[in-house]
Amino acid sequence: MHLDLSELSQLAPIFRELFKGFHISRRDPELYAQLSNFQDQYRGLFKALGFELVCDTRGFYYFVPELAAAQVNKTAQRLSLFTFILVEHLADQGRDPMSVLDGGSLGRDELPSLLEKYRDLFLQAEVQTPDELEEKIMRRMTQLGFASEDNGIYRFLPPMHRFLDVCLSVQQDRDLAASLHSALPLPTPVLVVEETPEELNRTDDPLDLSPFEESEEDALARAIAQEQQEIDA
Amino acid sequence: MIEPKRVLRALAEHWALLEPLCERFDGGTLSLAELRGQLAAQQLDSTPQDITNLLDVWIRLDILVPVAKSPNRFELNAQIHDFLAYLRREHRLGLCLEIEAYLRHLERLAGHIQDAFDIRDGNDLARQLRLLDMRVRDVLKKLDNDEQALVAVAERAKTSDRQIPLRQRYAEVLATWDEYVEPMIQLVNADGAFEQGVRKVETVLLRLLGEQARLGHLVDDDMLLRTHARILEMQTSAQLTLRHARELLLPLREEARRHNAVTRGAALALSVIRRKGIDAVPQAAMPLFTRPQSTFLGSASQVEAYVYALARFEAKPAQFPKAHKSHKGAAPRAPRTVKEMLERCEDALPLPDLMVWLLEQEPEGATDELLYWFSRLSREKRFTRARLERREYTTQEHLVSLRSFALTSSREPSPEPTASPTHAS
Repeated sequence: MHLDLSELSQLAPIFRELFKGFHISRRDPELYAQLSNFQDQYRGLFKALGFELVCDTRGFYYFVPELAAAQVNKTAQRLSLFTFILVEHLADQGRDPMSVLDGGSLGRDELPSLLEKYRDLFLQAEVQTPDELEEKIMRRMTQLGFASEDNGIYRFLPPMHRFLDVCLSVQQDRDLAASLHSALPLPTPVLVVEETPEELNRTDDPLDLSPFEESEEDALARAIAQEQQEIDA
Repeated sequence: MIEPKRVLRALAEHWALLEPLCERFDGGTLSLAELRGQLAAQQLDSTPQDITNLLDVWIRLDILVPVAKSPNRFELNAQIHDFLAYLRREHRLGLCLEIEAYLRHLERLAGHIQDAFDIRDGNDLARQLRLLDMRVRDVLKKLDNDEQALVAVAERAKTSDRQIPLRQRYAEVLATWDEYVEPMIQLVNADGAFEQGVRKVETVLLRLLGEQARLGHLVDDDMLLRTHARILEMQTSAQLTLRHARELLLPLREEARRHNAVTRGAALALSVIRRKGIDAVPQAAMPLFTRPQSTFLGSASQVEAYVYALARFEAKPAQFPKAHKSHKGAAPRAPRTVKEMLERCEDALPLPDLMVWLLEQEPEGATDELLYWFSRLSREKRFTRARLERREYTTQEHLVSLRSFALTSSREPSPEPTASPTHAS
């Protein structure tokens, strides 16, 4: 393929944004128009550099990270969880989730009540306060190009379809549904046998690491057990 | 017998009042009080007597009829209602079954036409052909009405409140699809009732044309050709209506289905997360994207310092013992084993203060090593421990502040009572 770099006038900003993980949609008209007009050239160039540019027909572009680094990170989990919550919350309120998440908007003032309602779920994403919700989820969404913020109103952008696709794929996941609706009891967590009397662990001793470093505590318990066996032997 | 002219005149004269009422009657029947209220709202300067007179006229002309078994409720006469709906271009979607019934009738008429021709009954043949022609017109009229009604269904769905759930917004679309479009697809299929009926009538008409040429004319050929042409028009019209219906409703139906799937998927994911944690959502489904902070390097000075340190990195020289050289100083003491320490500690029981004992045993021990032994020995099962007051201990390198333990053997009865949990802190 012949590449005329003079045509790719927005190459530097496009690469910078995509490399950061940003999703380029019509919200950035200049970059989006460049990518739309020279889609094949950009894709070819990025491919030669080792980046896979995805051109989603629903109106957005993004880089797929390398397979080696392609582990689902906390951010993806948090943003997916937020999408699930928002879809259910809007449906519960009798509002249309699709019209909100596909180009609609959400007021910042709605976030505290959302957090209150789904506190147990947000806790799993290590989000406990409205500030954390804004910092860890909403700001990250705007950083990645999933939403834009203007005067306390978050507007959702076309890349949100990636999360709506997650909902669809979960819905189609028969195994997941089967495991959820299964009549079989859920696996019971195996509790580690306490080696030391319980009251001994209730100390404020700075050396008592158990409340702070659980793994170290386990390691010590295991080591003691092994040594005990050696001694007894 | 009501004179048609009077009915038409009343409709024309009261059109301004009747038209808004039609919409109300589309939704159901109205009580006398509701009717009076509606009319009073439209005719602000009318007296109650005027309204009574007006209603009286409409009831006498059979425009308004009382609802069966509810004499105080009224509805528009069904014939008038249809006529007004036609004038207002309000189309109500009919049933696919109606079209099917018409087609069965067409097939039967084709049989009668054949019979009339066989017995050479020209009058009956002409009558049956007229009936057939009128029935085809009925089907065409109905298809046209249904098409308009389908457009209205799609428009209502698209323009209704975006805030109500899609399932409700598109309920009419989904019902229309299931009750009209889907059966119509079956009907207009190559082997469906529509095609079969049309083919049967067409065959009869074409055979009739050929037979007339051979046996002599019972009816005008033009009549047969006109009916044949109308049959073909009906077939095309049905296919066009169906195509139009699909184009209008299929995207909406798919949107509704997708919406349902998204809502169901989100609910499923949340219930899985509630029961099994956030990691239970299949990772393959998660979107992958580069993390924004992955390109973060830090401030310029940090980077500079880092590069500087890298450039001047020097590994510490490793000192390996040499076989031919003997140790000049005291041989380094081998690290104590847990077994050894436990035995020594056990021999020294009872210990009034574990930390003091450790410092005596290992006066030159590193602080972290001493703290390790403190933690390890105080947790040993074979010892019973009692918490002491906080105090400071001096190791070789540090001043440590902690609450030590007094240790006794757990195999013997403790000489001192164990501190209760309330005293421990």
